[in-house]
Amino acid sequence: MSTSTNKKSLKGMLWTWAALTVVGVIIGLYAPAWIMPKSMSNNMHLTILTMVVFTVAAAPVAAGVYASALFALARWTHKGDDVPSAGPAVRENAMVVTTWLVVSTILTVFLLIWGLGALAVDNGSTGKNPLVVDVTGQQWVWSFSYPGTHVSSPDLYLPLNREVEFRVTALDVTHGFWIANMGVQVDANVGTITTIHTTPDKLGVFDIRCTQFCGLNHAFMVTVGHVVTAQQFTSWLASQPQRA
Amino acid sequence: MTTTLEQAKTAAIPQGGGLHRRLNMATAMIGGIVFAWLFWYLAHHFLDATSRTYSDQVAASLTIGWIVGFWLGIGAFVAPLRWLIGRDNTRADDLYLAGQGQGTSRYWKFTTDHKVVGVQYIIMTMVLLGAGGILAMAIRTELIVPGNHFVNQQVYNGFIAVHGMLMILALIVMVAGPWGNFVMPIMCGARDMAFPRLNALSLWTLVGAAGLLLTTLAVGSLTMGWVVLAPIADQAGVGMDFFAMAIIVFTVSTTVAGVNTICTILTMRTKGMTLARLPIFVWGVMIAAALGIYAFPFFSLVEAQTLMDRTFSTSFFVANAGGTGWLQANLFWLMGHPEVYVILLPAVGALFEIAAVMSRKPVFSYRTAVAGMTGLAGLSILVWAHHMFTTGWAPTLGGPFMLTTELISIPTGLFFLVLIGTLWRGNIWMKLPTIWMFGFIANFIIAGVTGIYLSDIPLDDQLHGTMFVTAHFHYVFVGSVLFGAVSALAFWYPKVTGRFLNEFMGRISFWLTFIGVQVTFLAMFASGLRGMPRRYSSYAFIFEHTNFMTTIGAYTIMAGMLVLLGAVITSWNKGEPAGPNPWHANSLEWMVPTPPPLENFEVLPVITEDPYNYGEELVRS
Repeated sequence: MSTSTNKKSLKGMLWTWAALTVVGVIIGLYAPAWIMPKSMSNNMHLTILTMVVFTVAAAPVAAGVYASALFALARWTHKGDDVPSAGPAVRENAMVVTTWLVVSTILTVFLLIWGLGALAVDNGSTGKNPLVVDVTGQQWVWSFSYPGTHVSSPDLYLPLNREVEFRVTALDVTHGFWIANMGVQVDANVGTITTIHTTPDKLGVFDIRCTQFCGLNHAFMVTVGHVVTAQQFTSWLASQPQRA
Repeated sequence: MTTTLEQAKTAAIPQGGGLHRRLNMATAMIGGIVFAWLFWYLAHHFLDATSRTYSDQVAASLTIGWIVGFWLGIGAFVAPLRWLIGRDNTRADDLYLAGQGQGTSRYWKFTTDHKVVGVQYIIMTMVLLGAGGILAMAIRTELIVPGNHFVNQQVYNGFIAVHGMLMILALIVMVAGPWGNFVMPIMCGARDMAFPRLNALSLWTLVGAAGLLLTTLAVGSLTMGWVVLAPIADQAGVGMDFFAMAIIVFTVSTTVAGVNTICTILTMRTKGMTLARLPIFVWGVMIAAALGIYAFPFFSLVEAQTLMDRTFSTSFFVANAGGTGWLQANLFWLMGHPEVYVILLPAVGALFEIAAVMSRKPVFSYRTAVAGMTGLAGLSILVWAHHMFTTGWAPTLGGPFMLTTELISIPTGLFFLVLIGTLWRGNIWMKLPTIWMFGFIANFIIAGVTGIYLSDIPLDDQLHGTMFVTAHFHYVFVGSVLFGAVSALAFWYPKVTGRFLNEFMGRISFWLTFIGVQVTFLAMFASGLRGMPRRYSSYAFIFEHTNFMTTIGAYTIMAGMLVLLGAVITSWNKGEPAGPNPWHANSLEWMVPTPPPLENFEVLPVITEDPYNYGEELVRS
């Protein structure tokens, strides 16, 4: 095995790596937006963007492992039924180990910085006159009330482009309050209030599904929510029966 | 060597044994049932029937009776009791207990020989996997189309919890059980484990726990997912008491096994077997055992507290009586995350071993391999709260836990480096163990990358509690650990039986399972991304296609596993003969005859170098 053939075959591996990376990047760019629910809030834009960024960042690493494993399969598989002779007795290669450690650490730090930044944006409240909605989960329905209005409804209505603060609790067991179109999720715990924020930015309907197993009808604990214009929201509130 | 083998085959049953001559699995079952009845009877008559927790108290008593009777019936305490009354075991008694000359009947007894215990763990793993697999097929059949058709929701909810728990038990013992017992002591150059009777105790305790767990299906089941957290667990019937006791008993088994494993590795190594010369698999088993000793007591604790809440009306986890479910969730995940690595590390250690032997090269960067496994174990005890990002508990700790969780990708990345580095420029012998190892590499990348998404809180806020998470950890457990375990099975099977695992059937099984895993779990990722939560007994029509694909994929995995089962059974007596060292490896388990005789070595070997000197003799000579 001369050095030149070695270089030639390594070139094959590099091409495989490049091709697989491109495939990974394309999947990263298009698959999340294609598969995930239609984005209806600022949080969901960030969620989909993070999905894209992480997939694109992981693509070269995963492609590298696949390319080298495929290369090893193609290049160094022993032919024949006899016992293969010993390979080169390479025990250490400080260069390779160090490079790998440095690359994986840099990637991890990048992911972490992205994550912490996104977390700050994601969980931060803008504090600009948020609409407060009290969410209560019980087996197996959600109910929503709007403090200051005496309105309590089994349907969720949200005004467009106004921040919402969900204050979530449960009456019987733990439920999971999740709006798949808005990228927000928090558990509804008995005796505790948990809070999440989001700003709906698209008109339309969405599903609210329970993500914590809550008994017999867990699969059917689904409620429809609506994002409507501020005007429609005011008139919807006024049309609701007032409860003391 | 042949004389030893002949002697082992023709060795007469020793004269000793005492009470053990009459005890086996059947007497254990009878003992368990009789004592369960006795404890039930006493509880039924003497406990206050008007108590709110009466039925739970009776159920808990019954389960204690079961395990006490099971232990007595298998003879777990015969030897200590004899020691107490001054009639300690004689050499003949110990030889009887080790199963000398008893043929296959020793597999159904309290046998101390580590190789017998290893085979018992193989059987145990297959039984648990089979039972869990049947439930998985039932779940996927129910989910093939939207709506509830095949089983009702109550039964379905029981299936998902018991499927999860059975599979977790199966995974915990899948590699460390069979091979941590059968080959690990020989690899160290030991005649047996440090505490052979404790070894048998840990196996039979596991059998007793599994019995309790399976019984939950008959007594109203567990209907709240395998994590069984309060307050939903408070709504469960007596199945929950059976479950809690099964877990407490199970943690006794893992703790006993873990201590025994560590003592064996630290104290029983033969002359010259320094820690730096240990086969890398032994490191994997030892680190996993140490992590298990740390993790499983939390499991025991959390189930004991749950049981106290249910029987004595304490309120550790009862929110409206001053307790909190978050305490339970914390304790549970303090166990639950390290447990993943208790499952993974023995498989990874075995794959390093197999990579070296099958590519005829030393393990690439042995130190990196040990450091990676140790680092992973160390980090894994600091990441538990990433399972609780969306619970609302301590949002301010989100950042720190995101940091520790993402750091996990560094030691995990080292595993790929060591595996690929070992294969690099080797002469790769494409036999069954190698094929399944490549499957592991392919799947473990997907498992790792999807884990990164989940470690990121803004993404986890979207993906937590969905089928995406389910698909992620199935890539870890089925795609990675199962592939590693089958690789290890194919690798060491010739040492157990003297025959190769059928290569053709093994390859058919590989392709069915490998393709099945991709179809099943890639489609499941899509279900989760689309917005389908976990533990759903039915779903909206938008999830129809991906669920159908998942079910078809799951059937393919089942077919693959059935072919593997067929290969294991048919090759046991009829497979191609393999000889004592079919892979021409250098570690000690291949230096002894097949099957290894009782106490393994006639003369304990002296070690002068590690077992990875492929190619180095040439250089020296």
